[in-house]
Amino acid sequence: MRKSSAPYLFLTPALVLFAAFLAAPIGYAGYLSLRRVKVSGLGLGAGARSEVWAGLSNYGRSLTDPEFVPSVLRVGAYGLIVVPCMLGLALVLALLLDAGRTRVGTFTRTAIFLPYAVPAVIASLLWGFLYLPRVSPIVDVLSGVGITAPDALSSGWVLYAVANIAIWGGTGFNMIVLYTALRAIPTDLFEAARIDGASDIQIALRIKIPVIGPSLVMTFLFSLIATLQVFAEPMTLRPLSNTISTTWTPLMKVYRDAFVRNDIYSAAATSVIIAAATFVISYGFLKIVGSRAFSQEN
Amino acid sequence: MAVTTLTEHPPVVQPAPAPKRNTSPTATVLLLLGAAYCLLPVLWVLIASTKSASELFNTFTFAPSTHLFDNIAFLNSYRDGLYWRWMVNSAIFAGGGAAVSTLVSAMAGFAMAKYDFRGKGLAFNLVLAGVLVPAVILAVPQYLLLAKVGMTNTYWAVLLPSFISPYGIYLCRIFAAATVPTEVLEAARMDGASDWRAFYRVALPMMRSGLVTVFLFQFVAIWNNYMLPFIMLGDDRLFPVTVGLSGLLNQGATQPAMYTSVVTGALLSIVPLVVLFLTLQRYWRVDLGAGAVKA
Amino acid sequence: MKRTFAGVLAAALILTATACSSDDGDDSAGQADPNEKVALTYWSWAPNMDKVVQGWNAAHPNIQVTVNKQDGGDPAVAKLLTAIKAGSGAPDVMQAEYQKIPTLVAADAVADIAKEAGDLKAKFPESAWNSVTLGGEAVYGVPQDSGPMMFFYRSDVFDKAGVAVPKTWDEYAAAARKIHQANPKQYLGTFSSNDPGWFAGLSQQAGASWWGVQGESWTVAVNDAATKKVADYWGGLVQEGVIDNKPMYTPEWNAALNDGTQVGWLGAVWGPGVLEGNAASTKGKWKTALLPNWDAAAPANGNWGGSATSVTSQSKHKAQAAEFVKWLNTDPAAIKALAGTANVYPAANDATSVALTEPPAFFSNQTDFYALAAEAGKITKPFTYGPNVNVAYSSYNDAFGKAAESKKAAQFGAALDTIQQATVGDLKNAGFTVAS
Repeated sequence: MRKSSAPYLFLTPALVLFAAFLAAPIGYAGYLSLRRVKVSGLGLGAGARSEVWAGLSNYGRSLTDPEFVPSVLRVGAYGLIVVPCMLGLALVLALLLDAGRTRVGTFTRTAIFLPYAVPAVIASLLWGFLYLPRVSPIVDVLSGVGITAPDALSSGWVLYAVANIAIWGGTGFNMIVLYTALRAIPTDLFEAARIDGASDIQIALRIKIPVIGPSLVMTFLFSLIATLQVFAEPMTLRPLSNTISTTWTPLMKVYRDAFVRNDIYSAAATSVIIAAATFVISYGFLKIVGSRAFSQEN
Repeated sequence: MAVTTLTEHPPVVQPAPAPKRNTSPTATVLLLLGAAYCLLPVLWVLIASTKSASELFNTFTFAPSTHLFDNIAFLNSYRDGLYWRWMVNSAIFAGGGAAVSTLVSAMAGFAMAKYDFRGKGLAFNLVLAGVLVPAVILAVPQYLLLAKVGMTNTYWAVLLPSFISPYGIYLCRIFAAATVPTEVLEAARMDGASDWRAFYRVALPMMRSGLVTVFLFQFVAIWNNYMLPFIMLGDDRLFPVTVGLSGLLNQGATQPAMYTSVVTGALLSIVPLVVLFLTLQRYWRVDLGAGAVKA
Repeated sequence: MKRTFAGVLAAALILTATACSSDDGDDSAGQADPNEKVALTYWSWAPNMDKVVQGWNAAHPNIQVTVNKQDGGDPAVAKLLTAIKAGSGAPDVMQAEYQKIPTLVAADAVADIAKEAGDLKAKFPESAWNSVTLGGEAVYGVPQDSGPMMFFYRSDVFDKAGVAVPKTWDEYAAAARKIHQANPKQYLGTFSSNDPGWFAGLSQQAGASWWGVQGESWTVAVNDAATKKVADYWGGLVQEGVIDNKPMYTPEWNAALNDGTQVGWLGAVWGPGVLEGNAASTKGKWKTALLPNWDAAAPANGNWGGSATSVTSQSKHKAQAAEFVKWLNTDPAAIKALAGTANVYPAANDATSVALTEPPAFFSNQTDFYALAAEAGKITKPFTYGPNVNVAYSSYNDAFGKAAESKKAAQFGAALDTIQQATVGDLKNAGFTVAS
C-alpha cells in the first residue's frame, strides 16, 4: 500500500458526482422536510402562499398518518414472502446448475436469467395481463381443467400477486450471483467427500452452502434493500384493481404526496424516515450475521 | 492485506467442464420448471404481439395470430417512428451512463482497494450509504436542483445522475482487491510508471471481466429506470423506452388499440438487452461474496 | 348563506392582483412584435394534437408551436407543478382539466391572459367560461373541450331482455337487476373506484358541489346529502351484485365491453372514441341516451372530463401563447381539427355548426347524437372545484377502492366521510381558511 495524492485524484470524479447527485439531493430533501407551504385565506393569487419553517411537523404527520403503519407492516409481510422465496429458489437452481447433472443447463440458465432484462414497469404490466381473470390465460387453462382460479388481485391474494412479480424478476439475477460463487469453489474441497460416498445433497448442504455463505449474506442484504423499496410493481398494478391503495407501500406514499398532492415537504419527511429505517435495518442485519462484508480489508 | 486463497485466485468464470457424470432427471425437470416460470410472461408477450387489437383480449391467449408485422408497422408509423427514437434514447442513456459510470467506479474502487489514505474509511462508508438510498427518494430533489441550473428536459438531466453508482464502486473495489496483485503494481512503479499509467495499463486490463459486469449491471439499471427520466423529461422525443411505453399504456386506457402497440413495443424493448447479455454473458461475474471472505 | 363563488373570488383576485403588481411588469409585452421568431411548447394529452397544431404552424411562421405529448391530465399537472416549484422547465401552453384550474391558480402556475385573449366570453357556454375565470375578471385559459355525461347502452341486449331505456335512477336499478338476472354474466355497469371524476359528475347531477366559497373561507361538502344519496344508491347496487365493482379502463373492462358482459356505460360525450377502440366488434349495437335522472320532471346532468388550454406563468411569450390558445379554441378550422383529428368535443358554442354536423362514426346509426350532447350540456348543473381536488380525488381512489372491494352498501357512505375528512384536513393544514 502506498501513500500519495494519487488515491484522491482517482476518487475525485466519484466524489464530485456523489456530492452533486447524491449528497446534495439528500441534504435538500432533509431541508425540505423541515419546511412547509403556508397559505392565507382562500389561497388564490400569487401572494397567497409562502414557504415557512415547519419544525418536525411533517415528520409528525407522516408517522401518525393512519395509513403509514399498515403500509410498513405490508412491506414487512411482502419481504417475508419475497426474500426467502426468491433466494431459496435462486439457491436451489444455482446448486442444480452447479451439480452439472443435466443437459439443459445453458438453456435454463439463460431462460431463468431473462426476466432480469425486463424493466419492472413492463414486468408488472405483463403480469397484470396474466392476473386479470377475464384476460388471463392462467385462469383460462385452469378453468379448462375445471378449477376456478381465485382473483389474483382480490384482497386476499394481491400481496402474493405483487410478490410474485418481484420473485420472477429477481430470482435469475440472484441465481447467477450464487452460481458464480459456487463455480469458484475449488473442486478438491468436495471431491474427497464425493469419493467417500457423500451424495450431491449432502455435499451441497455440508460444503457448498457454508462456503458461499458470504455471497448468500450479500444477496440477502441487497434483496432486503430492494424489498424495502418496492414501488414500481404495485404502482403499475394499482389502476387494475380496488385492492392497491395510493399509499400501499411507504414509497407509494412518497410518490403520492410529491406528485399527486403537490406536497413535496411531507414527501421529503417520509423519504428521510424510509432512508433512516433502511440504514438501521441493513446495519442491524449485518451486525446480527456478524459479517464483515462491509468492513475494510486492513 | 489479509486475503484468503479465494481472493488471491479470483473465481474462474468458466472452469474446465466438470467430469462427466450421470444426468439426473430430477435436476432436469426442476430446472425446466424454473425456466418455464420465467419464460411464461415472455411467451405471452411474444404471442400477444402477433395479435390484432380486436383479437388481443378476445381469442384464446396462447393461440398465435398473424399480425406481428402489422403491429410493428403501426408502431413504426406511430408519430413518425417515435418509438425508435425512444429506443435510441435508451441506448444513449444506458450506454453512455454505464460507460462513464464504469470508469468512475473503476477509478474509485481501485483507489479504495489499493491505496492507504486518510478518509478512506469515510469514503467507503459514504459509498455504502449511497447503496442504500432508494432512487425514488432522490428523483424529486435531483429534479429541483437540476432545474436551478436549467438542465431539466435535456439528455444531461438523465445522464449526469447515472454517472455515479455507489454499487458499481462497491463492486469495483471487490474486483480490484481480488484481481490486481499489489506486487504487479509495485513492479510497474519500479519501472517508472506513474500511478495513472499503472492503473490504466496494468490494473484496468486485469479488472476487465469485473468491469464488464459493472457495465452490464449499470446498463440494465439505467435501461430499466423509469422514475428519473419520467420526472426529468417533458419532451417525449427525449424519453427512454420505459417512459414512452408507459405513456402508451396510459393512452391504452382510452384508445385500446394502443395496447397492441404497448405489447409489441415491450417485446422489442427486451430484445436489445437479451442480445447484449448473450454476447457478454461469458464475462458476467458478480461474486458479491468475494470481497467479504477473509481470514 | 353561501355567496356566489364568482363575486368573492373576483374580489379576492383583484386584491391579490394589486398586492403583487410587480408581477404585472411583464405585461407591457402585451403587444407581440410580429417579426420576432418565437418557439412555444404545448403540453397536451389529446391524441393527434400535433396534427391540429400543424394548421397553426403553417400559417404562423414566426410562432412555431411544438406539442409535447403527455401521459394524461394527472401526470401532466404533477409535472407542471414540479416545474413551477423548480422555477424552470414548464411549457408555454398547457392543457388543463377544469377541475385542476383552481389548484393551478393557487400554485401560481397559470397566467391571467384576460388582456391578451380579449373578450371571448360569448363564444363559450357559461359553465365552461366560469371554470377558466373562476367567476372573476381574470382569464386562466380558454375552454378547449367539455364532457357532459351521457348514457351508452347495448340496444340489442335491452330489446332481448325487454328493458326500456331508463329515464330515472330507479328504472336504471330495475334494468340492472333484470339484465343481470336474465344473464348472470352481464352487468349494466360498474362502480369504478378509479374514476373520481366520474363519481363527481354523478354527484354534480344530483345537485352536489363539493367545494364552495363562503366569505373569505372555503367550504367542503363531499359528504353532503346529494352525494350521500348517490353513494348509497351505488353501494346498494354493488351489494346486491347487479352492478360490477371492478374499475373502468382496465384491459378487463375493455374486454367486457367488447364481449358483451358490460352492456351499458355511464360515460360522457367523448365516449364514442373509447367504445370504438374497446368494442369495435359491437359497432351498430350501441345507442346513446341522456343520463337517468333523480327527478324525471327536472332533468339534470353532470360533467366528466373537459379541459382548457392555459398559458403558464413561466412562459416568456405570453402574448404569442395567448394568441395561439385563442386560435386553437375559436378558429373554425382549429375547432374542426379538434373535433375531427384530436377526437375531442370542442367547448366553443359554434362547434355544433362548424364541426359536429355528422354523428361520430361509432354511432352512425344515431343521427341525433350531437343534439343529445347539446341537450346534456344545457342541463348540466353548476359545480365548484376547490384548490385541493387532487387530495380529494386520491382519497376517493383509496376509500372507494375499499368500499367497492367489500361490496357493502354501508361502506360507500363511510367512504365519503373519509374523503371529506382528508380534504378538510389538508386545507386546514396548508393554512386555508375553511368554514365548518
